[in-house]
Amino acid sequence: MKHLPKHLRQRWRYLAVGIEAWPDASISRRGFQRALWYAAGNLLGDAGSADVDLTLLGFTLADGRGEAVVRTRRGHVEAARAAIACVHAVDGDPIGIRVRGISGTVRACEERYMGGAGRDPIQRAVAFAGAERSAVVRGDARDVAVESDHVGATAFDTE
Amino acid sequence: MYEAVHAYPDGASTVARHARTAARHGYDGIVVRTRDAVEVDPTATDPATTAAPNATRVAAIREEYGIDVVDAVEIDVDGPASAGGSVGNYRPDHTVVCLVGGDDRLNRFAVEEPRVDVLTRPMADGGGFNHVLAKAARDNGVHVEVDLGPLLRATGGRRVRALSNLRKLREILTYYDAPYVVSVNARSQLELRAPRELVAAAAAAGFDPDWIRAGLTAWGEIVTTNRERRSGSFIAPGVRRGRHETER
Repeated sequence: MKHLPKHLRQRWRYLAVGIEAWPDASISRRGFQRALWYAAGNLLGDAGSADVDLTLLGFTLADGRGEAVVRTRRGHVEAARAAIACVHAVDGDPIGIRVRGISGTVRACEERYMGGAGRDPIQRAVAFAGAERSAVVRGDARDVAVESDHVGATAFDTE
Repeated sequence: MYEAVHAYPDGASTVARHARTAARHGYDGIVVRTRDAVEVDPTATDPATTAAPNATRVAAIREEYGIDVVDAVEIDVDGPASAGGSVGNYRPDHTVVCLVGGDDRLNRFAVEEPRVDVLTRPMADGGGFNHVLAKAARDNGVHVEVDLGPLLRATGGRRVRALSNLRKLREILTYYDAPYVVSVNARSQLELRAPRELVAAAAAAGFDPDWIRAGLTAWGEIVTTNRERRSGSFIAPGVRRGRHETER
């Protein structure tokens, strides 16, 4: 089909989204996209969901840290932000989510808000709550495995 | 803007981890609802400059992440009889005293007790809230918590019921101009959301953005007032020890 004249084309906004999860979470791109759409559908309804779009354009996640580029229509950024805030779990894995910034192009979005992937995580034993436990250490953050669950800690709580 | 969190062992993140995440999200401070997570030396007169080992750790966390960490307690009891004793016990040692509602008699008790700072989760577990409680809360300066946790984390019918309760609570609180605070009751750093996201989500649920921001700021106001009251130079509201007063 012939593409639209410029003034009729959809204007987009691209949201840089930071994702945090426990280190053993396995979150696929497909699962995250589904969670985004479900969150929008549940919060804004079908009509609102169509308005915010929320197509996932880029997605990386490794060892519980990740980032994504989410597309939304210009003028619906706050609704998109609301829907993104309501994503609390993907396939049963709880996630923390934050909008780092908004750009008018994917390229600007990536250059400005993405990358900068922190230091690589190290798996090692730390002293926490009176016992040696296995933890994933990234900078001063420590995700400690306690029984079958995780506890978020920092360098202050171990050592 | 402050957020009130549940820290380890009550939640799944330690105080420091909550502080780290909250600082990144742009909060000015966190109120730690878990009693033993932030221990401050009760014998010290000025809570801002306590020298107990735990207090220095909290000071180090404040220093490291550039964010205020406030000791609070959340009293969770079965009935008003035991609540009265707990409030009396914890009030002298903690900057913020919260009482978990969710039961008609406890809600009533909390709003009529000026020593309670915050009535948390008044509508959870079938608790009710009405104009009588709102007026009592306003007269006694007890803040009522607006728990946005279900908006972010519940689904289906539970979320619908929670949202309709929140709407009722908001209308009553606004009409009687009763004090309130807003929180998401985060149990781990993953459940924290940045103020801007929170405001946007609440706006989608029918809240006024400024109303939500005011509710987040209200935690900070409670903290400032109570720190002032617990400091050595406080005598009565509006009366403090001046610089001409000499130690006797």
